[in-house]
Amino acid sequence: MALLIIFVLIPALWIFWLAFQRWDLISGTSDFIGTANFERLLLRDDIFRKSVWQTVYFVAATVPISMALGLFLAMLLNQKMPFRDFLRTVIFTPYVMPIVSTALIFGFIYHPDVGVLNAALNVFGLPKINWLGSPQAIMPAIIIYSVWQHTGYNTVIFLAGLSNLPPELDEAARVDGAGAWTRFWQVTWPLLSPTTYFVLLINVVASFKVVQPILVFAGGVGGATAGGGGPDKAAETIGYYLYVQAFAFFHAGYAGAISVVLFLIILAITALQVGLFSRRVFYR
Amino acid sequence: MRRTLDLLPRYLVLVPFAALFAFPFYWMLVISLGTLQSVFVFPPILYPLWHWDNYLSAVGLLPDPATGATLHIPWVRYFINTIIVAVGSTALVLITSTLGGYAFASMPFPGKKFIFGLVLAIYMVPTEVTLVPNFIILAKLGWIDSYQAQIVPFGASVFGIFLMRQFFMGLPHDLWDAAQLDGAGHLRFLWAIATPLARPPLVTIALFHFVGAWNSFLWPLIVTTSDNYRPVQVGLQAFSYADATNPVLHAAGSFIVTLPILVIFLLAQRQIVGGIAASGIRG
Repeated sequence: MALLIIFVLIPALWIFWLAFQRWDLISGTSDFIGTANFERLLLRDDIFRKSVWQTVYFVAATVPISMALGLFLAMLLNQKMPFRDFLRTVIFTPYVMPIVSTALIFGFIYHPDVGVLNAALNVFGLPKINWLGSPQAIMPAIIIYSVWQHTGYNTVIFLAGLSNLPPELDEAARVDGAGAWTRFWQVTWPLLSPTTYFVLLINVVASFKVVQPILVFAGGVGGATAGGGGPDKAAETIGYYLYVQAFAFFHAGYAGAISVVLFLIILAITALQVGLFSRRVFYR
Repeated sequence: MRRTLDLLPRYLVLVPFAALFAFPFYWMLVISLGTLQSVFVFPPILYPLWHWDNYLSAVGLLPDPATGATLHIPWVRYFINTIIVAVGSTALVLITSTLGGYAFASMPFPGKKFIFGLVLAIYMVPTEVTLVPNFIILAKLGWIDSYQAQIVPFGASVFGIFLMRQFFMGLPHDLWDAAQLDGAGHLRFLWAIATPLARPPLVTIALFHFVGAWNSFLWPLIVTTSDNYRPVQVGLQAFSYADATNPVLHAAGSFIVTLPILVIFLLAQRQIVGGIAASGIRG
């Protein structure tokens, strides 16, 4: 309990103090500068503005794709069948694997000249893409990686949700002659809404604070002295910008201001989702 | 027979998807067993060439075939560091989860509801947000570049406390009454009776935490500055960015770092996947 207070609660409150300081991590000096950090961050910082949009882009692509894919695979696996556990395990494995090594391998897969992904595109007559080296492609590349990494988690949660549904309703609809498509949208989807809602909330919050994939895919791209973030800062996210400001430039106060904004955004999203969906979700 | 035929379309979709999800691991193996020439061929060679000696080069037992120089990477040190951190923080989490969960489940104390609410609120605070203040706290404690910097901040887990509380609340009250009759206090009851019964949730917590600690990267990257305390993930990052230039060895290094956690996951996948399905924890 004391640990939680010291390392979570106090820091969480402390960022609201830190954000009003000019605080240098190397010398450890600090002085109170009022709202100057926020003024610069919200009004004048183009990189921060870009990072907000790139984060929204990342969330808006990663979450729906990995959720839809997760639900689709869960529907297919939601039946007694040979190798079911094996398939589920294979799909889930990326989620528990270390990010540095899997990202390293994706670096090979994404290689512009000899990467296997471009080779696959080539088979279909499509041109080679400079996945990690061009501002248009780096975010999609990181999104593909994140979908690969997180779909298994969504599949497992959806599977658990599906196995809790009463089979009688689906059976009754089948007897009434409803096809698979109708049964899914009219029976399964509404019944599954508490699970979907939970998965959505968890996915949005987790992808909103994304740092590590950016760090490993784009940390060294776009110039380390400029803080990385990919060509043209195309892979800059709020979480990554926070990391760079604090631990590459040692601007702890400024990073504190970013932390505050990120924290408030996440709280707002959570509150919004709770408010928007909790009444519409079908609870049994 | 008919059932198998019904299932066939499912397999036709599922198997290619599963193959896609597994492909990067296969590819890791293919690259790590190739040569500097073979991995730069287009279209790529899709099968392994079985150059196992790449692994010996990656750990510094053989010279790097590309440069002829022998690498000196303290892999053993990295692995020991990771094991110390993972085991240490897992042990700490098990203790704090048991004590905290028990206190919230079975002991009356003033402000309990409020404090439990506080614990749940803490669950909502993303670790990324507390990165900077936590770093400053550790710097003030003089803990930068140490094991405790990687262990203590993660020594208590809301998920663990919550799971243990649920478990202890489900224990029949008669057990506690009987133990009290025999003169046992809370601690003795917890140690001798409740904790042994709590094996299943403890195993779940331990597995999650261990995997999370093994894979943790961002935090140790920030708080370690020397090889003495660096875990394997940060070591691999340094290896692939700076120490080795031969990409084939990067893949071999990745595989070395991935293999232990892959083995642990495959052995314990029933508990891990089951635990996720039951609790929805997300690392």
